[in-house]
Amino acid sequence: MNVDPSRPPDATAAVPDVTVVVIVYNDESRLPTAVQSVLAQTLRGVEVVIVDDRSTDGSYEVARRLAAEHPERVRAYRLPENSGGCGAPRNHGIEQARGTYVVFLDSDDVLERNACRNLLEAAETTGADLVSGLCVRVHVDSRSRKEVKWYPWLYERTRTLESIAELPDLLVFDTLSTNKCYRRQFLLDRDLRFPVGIHYEDLLFSAQAYAAARRITLIPNRVYDWNVVEKAATKSISNRRDEIANFAQRMEIHRRVDQLLAEQGLLELKFHKDVKFLKHDLVLHLRDLPFRDAAYRHEFAALTRDYLDSIDHAAFDEVEPIHAICAHLLRGSDWDHLLPAVDTLTNRDKISSPLLERDGRIYWCDAGHLDGDGDGFGRQVMDVTELGYHTKPVEKMFLRNALTGYAEAAGTVRLAGRITNPLGVVPPGALLSGELEFYARRKSLRLQTFRFPVATLRHEGETIAWEASADLARGLRPLGIVDAVWDVRLHLDVDGTRTTTRLTASEPGLATGQLPVRPRLTRLAAHHIEPEISARGHLCFRLVSHEQVDAFVARGVQGPPGRLAKSGYRKAKAVRKKLTSGDTKIRLYHEVFSRLPVKKRLVVFESHLGRQYSDSPRAIYEEMRRQGLEFEAVWSYSGSPVGFPSDATLVRRWSLPYLQALARAEFWIDNQSYPLKLTKRPRTTYIQTWHGSALKRMGFDEPEWKLKSRRRQEEQQRTLDRFDRFLIRSEHDVRTLARAFRLKEKTLLRVGYPRNDALVRARQSTERPPLAAELGIPEDRRVLLYAPTFRGRGQRRFELPFDVERFADTFGDRYVLLVRSHYLDHVVLPPSVRGRVIDVSTHHDVTPLLALADGLITDYSSVMFDYALLDRPMFFFAYDYEEYVYEGRGTYFDLLERAPGPVVRTEDELHAVLGSLEKQVVKYAAARERFVADFGEYDKGDAARSVVEQFFSQWRRA
Amino acid sequence: MSGYPERDVFFVSNSVNELGGVTSWSHQMARLFTGRGHRVHVVGIAPAEVEQELGELPYRTKTLHSGRPPRPGRARRASMREQAARLTALFRAARPGAVVIVTQVWAMEWVELADTRSLTVIGMSHESYAYSKAAGRFRRVLKHYRDVDRLLTLTREDADLWIGEGLNNASYMPNPLPFMPDVPSPRTANVVVSMGRLHDQKGIDMLLDTWSEVAPHHPGWTLRIYGSGEDEELLKKQCTALGLDNSVEWMGSTGAVASALRGGSVFVQSSRGEGFPLALMEAMATGLPCVAFDCAPGVREIVRDGEDGLLAALGNTGELARRLGTLMSDKELRDRMGAAARANIQRYGTDEVVRRWEELFAFLER
Repeated sequence: MNVDPSRPPDATAAVPDVTVVVIVYNDESRLPTAVQSVLAQTLRGVEVVIVDDRSTDGSYEVARRLAAEHPERVRAYRLPENSGGCGAPRNHGIEQARGTYVVFLDSDDVLERNACRNLLEAAETTGADLVSGLCVRVHVDSRSRKEVKWYPWLYERTRTLESIAELPDLLVFDTLSTNKCYRRQFLLDRDLRFPVGIHYEDLLFSAQAYAAARRITLIPNRVYDWNVVEKAATKSISNRRDEIANFAQRMEIHRRVDQLLAEQGLLELKFHKDVKFLKHDLVLHLRDLPFRDAAYRHEFAALTRDYLDSIDHAAFDEVEPIHAICAHLLRGSDWDHLLPAVDTLTNRDKISSPLLERDGRIYWCDAGHLDGDGDGFGRQVMDVTELGYHTKPVEKMFLRNALTGYAEAAGTVRLAGRITNPLGVVPPGALLSGELEFYARRKSLRLQTFRFPVATLRHEGETIAWEASADLARGLRPLGIVDAVWDVRLHLDVDGTRTTTRLTASEPGLATGQLPVRPRLTRLAAHHIEPEISARGHLCFRLVSHEQVDAFVARGVQGPPGRLAKSGYRKAKAVRKKLTSGDTKIRLYHEVFSRLPVKKRLVVFESHLGRQYSDSPRAIYEEMRRQGLEFEAVWSYSGSPVGFPSDATLVRRWSLPYLQALARAEFWIDNQSYPLKLTKRPRTTYIQTWHGSALKRMGFDEPEWKLKSRRRQEEQQRTLDRFDRFLIRSEHDVRTLARAFRLKEKTLLRVGYPRNDALVRARQSTERPPLAAELGIPEDRRVLLYAPTFRGRGQRRFELPFDVERFADTFGDRYVLLVRSHYLDHVVLPPSVRGRVIDVSTHHDVTPLLALADGLITDYSSVMFDYALLDRPMFFFAYDYEEYVYEGRGTYFDLLERAPGPVVRTEDELHAVLGSLEKQVVKYAAARERFVADFGEYDKGDAARSVVEQFFSQWRRA
Repeated sequence: MSGYPERDVFFVSNSVNELGGVTSWSHQMARLFTGRGHRVHVVGIAPAEVEQELGELPYRTKTLHSGRPPRPGRARRASMREQAARLTALFRAARPGAVVIVTQVWAMEWVELADTRSLTVIGMSHESYAYSKAAGRFRRVLKHYRDVDRLLTLTREDADLWIGEGLNNASYMPNPLPFMPDVPSPRTANVVVSMGRLHDQKGIDMLLDTWSEVAPHHPGWTLRIYGSGEDEELLKKQCTALGLDNSVEWMGSTGAVASALRGGSVFVQSSRGEGFPLALMEAMATGLPCVAFDCAPGVREIVRDGEDGLLAALGNTGELARRLGTLMSDKELRDRMGAAARANIQRYGTDEVVRRWEELFAFLER
């Protein structure tokens, strides 16, 4: 392999392929490493131009020595006077360069050894003016040289842009000049130079280069190692962000870049840059505000105000509500609201404002923002309805608790504060109590926490004021050394429901001073504790130890005793993890529980992997109870047991009692699947009720299953072969599900779905079920149920595909709309539709909702097959039909041909067909009949009874 | 005439004549380089287990080990060093500017022990990134190819994935077209052709599922499945169970690839994994529009979806069936795509690929 770096460049190549401009200022020790990284490049045709910014150490002498050692490849220059930045030396380097391409390198960084070869290859094959590669930040003083890729999503694959307009994020995020290779003639022709006399010169230079480049190629190759030194005494420019002067320069550079974009007509880029400014640049500085004094805050606001005015209002729509709110409050210098809002910016799930409801929407705050500007912009920014705060109970809220008083005397701290009370979630008459809790930050040490009662709690409307004192000298007993940091939280009990808060120090310098403590290990470990504010702004306490102890401890921790203790601790943790792991449990199931005798009349029920008490397993269970059979019932639950039957034994899914029950049961009854790895004993009968007929392809008809190797397919088949009985509601199920699961004919039980017995009964009944009253539905309104199928697109909130407020305004006087989303697709309804649109997603069982609904709106959900049994109008809102059918796994039949109701694609069409339910009843009567015949022929209303008759009749009491 | 200097080019593979795609590829390239005036040596690490007939070779071949190398351990290491010394001697005899092309990562374990200081070493991975991972070669590629001058994959997309794993020396080079028939298929017979080993990887089971959705809508059409392999019996049973015996013909393996392809109007590939599939290139060269699962970067590189063939999401037999149906029911579309396929596949013509190789040799000397 070509590993000889000292080989001179090809003699015929008078012009080097690449010039690397290395700039240096007072960095004599690292300069040789940087230069060596260039000389060791796999591409040989590379020259180095070192430019010294008039260092006061030996940097220039080192540079000259390097040039003397490599006369053909290294040249050294020195500026006549120090420029104080990176711009002037780099500009000088551009002038001295001879290579076809130019790359910039700082004296404290290095190039990856293939960098020049890869940049050159890309430049030559695409003809790009500018090639950019991946930069990696290397934290050289971290324990394991932590590496963080710089905006890696821009560099996932090779791509060539004809213009920067194709990828605005490149200009907006990757503002470095150093991970790039520029065609030298391009720099000269377009007169591209770094600004001099101002920091952040990279931002402007890279923006200019991006905007001017005729073609840009991005390569996924790592080209540049940016060495980051965090513990350095003199922090580099980009780290000293608490200096207001720096910030002023940053804003100046922003202005210049904006001007450049405006001149070039790149308005779309300015928009993306605005979004990033709100989301990233501003946030960086805002987070520091609570720790800064008033003078700083005002200067900061003055510097940003004009700039914020230049930001397109539309950019506020592209960021999270809290980003927009903070920017808006900053622009108005509304400090009283801004500082709490910053708390939410830092602790994203915290609610730091009392909020208010107006005209059916939820707003962050008013203070003139809602109607002050005349164009409705403030109102739009302050609207936080979509965050769903109004739907949360107090125990699910993380409330801001601002520390307003801190005093210490004789070992006791006296604390006072105010807890935010959003939307009056804590009612005025509520019974309040509270306690302060101190706990060691290190999780493994939370053996003991220390609690102190909150002496007074006062409801003050938008806040709950509290006062407490804690005798830390006597009441807090840390171990010492290992538990140096103690966090504090305040638990507030509201009518017996507990919500937990953290104490936020809202002003700098509020909590200071030392308190005596007595560590348990030894008094030598520490004798004082002092308050501190965490990075997230919360009050905590730190043990202050003696310096000698510190040194002693360091020796112990890093020496043999520490290593021994640490490895012992890790081993113990590993053993514990192994004992509670899934593998161990599965072994326990097979090797211990399955050796116990099968217990007669033990039945384990499960619905949707334990998430619900619902569906056919529930219907069978209730029929068994109704008939008064003698048997032992076990219901499995995951999450919370609330809502499960009290007359059955409840076991948590995957717990040892669960596994034991399954191993010993005579019957398994579920509608989805028991854990795949559990083998069913031959003497256990598994009745698989399944949970719906299929429109979408299932099982071995799904691409995902087909792709599995033969061995994995056989494994999968074994889990399916556990089914002794599989419930069938029509021959369609036989052609689809039974075939897709490769079930044997003898397992098929053609009895219909037990869960649908209730629907068959409801078809005959004219009475409205009691559920209507429970949901507060007035007599004169008809009920529509919207039940879409699971969309499952990542973590994003499920957005209703129509405007609920418009729906409520149009139909609110005639219909109540129930919305049932998949449990993974969380929906937020605005307060404005209260009473007219109701979220019923948390109801365990969908069947009573179906029985209640006078009409169903769905897209592709299998509830259509069940609801059809009621012979009531159905509407198919298939707004993304082609995408769903062709881009997904495919369907068994064409819904457009066989739907027993109108299929609509747009919201307007939906409104049109919803105008009259009666019309739809008549128009689609024949289609519904056909649909039931095709998909529900065995649902006759006696499925549960048939199942019980066939399997459990001998359990009847004599 | 070449404009590039004549060089010594060494191909180092697991064996000189093991039956398989890599062997066919290296001897095709070796003949092409020889034709350009380069001095070619083909070196195998060990004798082949299943041999491939190569015919008269216009260059020298050499096999290092006389039998299988010893099992991993001290004896293996000693014998590797011994054979690496023979490689070193071979390399030293080369003229300046010589190039070593290591076609398989196993062979690289020997080459890295030899002295290659004055040569350019190019490593190759003749399969997709995903397949390397699935086949357990992932770690070994990362380890043994880390310091070669260039690691060549089959496509840009595969190279980018290896770069993402830290192999900054990765780049790519497509395979050349194996042959170019003078006469394309007339595309008049109602025949869909499939060609490949009857093995899980080729997904013939999914092809049969697909065909069961297509055949009822296209009476008179036949699916001809060329190839043999260990799954033959299983697949024939599946075919019967699906009731497809009347429209599927099991052809066995064939030596007459070109004429087999000429007998069809559409080519179908249903593989679970591929590298840079020669079968698609051959079918396109014969003027057949291809319908295939988009299972690898090499497939979407060869077939331009919607222009000279049609692709379906991997494993989605419904989609593959629809794509097949589209071409089977539209003769004009078949002709348009078939003609485009034959024209477009020229970009992998042997002259073009050899030119790219010679450019690469020159680039790596800069």
